[in-house]
Amino acid sequence: MKKRYLPIAMFAIAALGLTACSGGGTDSPTDDTLDVWIMQGTNPDTEAFFDTVGDAFTEKTGATLNVEFVQWADAHDRFVTAIAGGTTPDIAETGTTWTAEFADSGALAPIDDYVAEAGLEDDLVQGLVDSGTYDGSLFGMPWYAGVRSIIYRTDVFAELGLAAPTTWQEIVDAATVIQAERPDLIPFPVPGDAEMLTYPWVWGAGGEVSTLEGDQWVSGLDADEAREGIRFYTGLATEHGFSSAGATTWKETDLLDNFSQGTVAMAISGSWTPATVLEKAPELEGKIGAIAIPGQNGGISPSVLGGSHLSMFEGSENKDLAWDFMELMTTGDFAQQWADQTGYFAGTESLLQPTIESDDPLVQPFAEQMVDGGASLPVTPTFGAVQAKKTTNAMIQSILSGQKTVDEATTDAAAEMNDIMNGN
Amino acid sequence: MTVLLEREAKKGTAPARPPRRRSRALVIAQARPWLLLTPALILLGALLLWPLVRVFLFSLQDYGLREIVSGDSNYIGFGNYAEIFSNSTLWTVVLPNTVGFALVSVSATVVFGTLVAMLMASLSPVWRTIVGSAVMVAWAMPAVTGTYVWIWIFDADQGLVNETLKSLGLMNESFNWFTNPFTFYAIVALNIVHHGFPFVAITVLAGLLGVPKEMLEAAEMDGAGPVRRFFAIIYPTLKPVFSVVIILSTIWDFKVFAQIYLMPGGSGSNREVLNLGVWSYVESFGQNRYGFGAAIAVLLTVLLLIITAIYVRTLFKEEKE
Repeated sequence: MKKRYLPIAMFAIAALGLTACSGGGTDSPTDDTLDVWIMQGTNPDTEAFFDTVGDAFTEKTGATLNVEFVQWADAHDRFVTAIAGGTTPDIAETGTTWTAEFADSGALAPIDDYVAEAGLEDDLVQGLVDSGTYDGSLFGMPWYAGVRSIIYRTDVFAELGLAAPTTWQEIVDAATVIQAERPDLIPFPVPGDAEMLTYPWVWGAGGEVSTLEGDQWVSGLDADEAREGIRFYTGLATEHGFSSAGATTWKETDLLDNFSQGTVAMAISGSWTPATVLEKAPELEGKIGAIAIPGQNGGISPSVLGGSHLSMFEGSENKDLAWDFMELMTTGDFAQQWADQTGYFAGTESLLQPTIESDDPLVQPFAEQMVDGGASLPVTPTFGAVQAKKTTNAMIQSILSGQKTVDEATTDAAAEMNDIMNGN
Repeated sequence: MTVLLEREAKKGTAPARPPRRRSRALVIAQARPWLLLTPALILLGALLLWPLVRVFLFSLQDYGLREIVSGDSNYIGFGNYAEIFSNSTLWTVVLPNTVGFALVSVSATVVFGTLVAMLMASLSPVWRTIVGSAVMVAWAMPAVTGTYVWIWIFDADQGLVNETLKSLGLMNESFNWFTNPFTFYAIVALNIVHHGFPFVAITVLAGLLGVPKEMLEAAEMDGAGPVRRFFAIIYPTLKPVFSVVIILSTIWDFKVFAQIYLMPGGSGSNREVLNLGVWSYVESFGQNRYGFGAAIAVLLTVLLLIITAIYVRTLFKEEKE
């Protein structure tokens, strides 16, 4: 008799196991819990910050906040698997270049109505609104922004009697002196695997990355202006020898590591990096300065305005609650605290204004770059594919390693970009 | 079969019951292996066969994020396959890199592993344990960790190799080993052989210890040198072991991904070093083209099956002769 119950028991166990698996996904977004994914590493003390936010959120709405921290490196894959399995959170931090991509797939919910109701339309930072808008609707709530400028070693410049460069030629002049007088330093590394560091030179020379003409994307990388900028930038390494052999395969993180080790004199770096450098290398305190990236003949070369949005997922069962959280995070005290702790800029004009007027030498130049020289990459999901294929990185690296000339490399890159962006 | 047996039973003069019972017993006996195999087969079917079928179905679709969200299918026939075969990067860079690298690293791994196994076979048990544990450490090292160690050793600005060469006066300026496809793959090969030879060494050692000592001694008495002894006695005895080791190494080295993706320039910015693994990742997952990626996966599976089939066939042919 006992035997007969065995299969039934096994089925019961199997059924329990199955429901347990699926239960984890479906019953989490209940009325009183809000699931949020936040990227790790932006704020050195993320968890403490969100403990405070969680308490404030519970106080305000009575709901519980469940924050999960995700690594940037595997975040994209996790979003995709969550979308496929229907286990997306209510809200997630999305990098500005991802928002359009996920919006295009239909996974995100538009938030225009909420923004209008809260009267925030005119207060949001335009650069972040641009990258968060897809097909005429806003999908990404501007949270924080960052921009890249040049950081340099003030002690080296003072020792050699150099002034901070204000034109491209002055960069070459300063680097030439550093190269001669301080052979232990890399004057101006040109990393071969860091696309964001390329675009300022393209825009600075009057070129374009890609523009929409009619319904076709046309890459400007092979135009004369862009070539001039790319020739100057890679020439810092290939003609002048201001870079190093290793830099040919560096990523942006390698550049930052080397700057922290004190082996680099000038580097293009993000507004969020000086704090990291000083944390890793306290001995550099007071020896770092920043300048906006000089224009070709004065002024500022535009650089990519990056950052993060908070995006609401279409699968969220409690969108009003989700908006409460968005508003709490992106306006008022918490947004200010976040910006202060991370070295990023707030996503609303009202909070940004005091920062722009700041006289901190490690904040002011970045603020200047952001306001006067912030630019946006093409806002289309297909540009994400260009980035994934590393079209720009491959172009720079092939020039640096001598595989291709500037003309060959830019021609190939422009053709590849057009192919991908026009869906061929 | 059962019908036949029953007929025979009817014809027979013996009491009808026992044969019938025997025939029923036979049915059960025949079914028993399948009955016993059922749980395993169901499990394999659910875990292996169904995903395989799904991957094949995906490979016939233009399947991206949008399809994942909506759950719709989007069949395009063999479009993905056509795109793969008409891709010039595949033929000029990806395949030569993949096949060339697999050939070199499989032979290097097997040769080096066999040499280590023979060294260990000739050692006393104490030393064999010591060498064995040292070998195991190389095996136990995670692929990612191992890769970073090699990257540091060959780092252009501060790496051990460049510093040594420069201090010996053999090189004036730092050289970036990762930009040239040959030096790039030489480093990957070092990494893969270092990580892969322990498996070969331990497997071959197990086989070596089973080779009859008398035969080797007799050959030695007859004046056969170590090379002759290896090819005349050890190799033929260990052939099945070698075939397993070679097939597995080929499969692993064809699919190598992390050890290349993590190298400087290996994740797509140096187009001359793309291999099948990285290329398919960049082209499919990077661009959310899961259907295209599935098509590449199907082709890779077919390719590896063909290689394995050819190899196993030649092996059996030789045995028959």
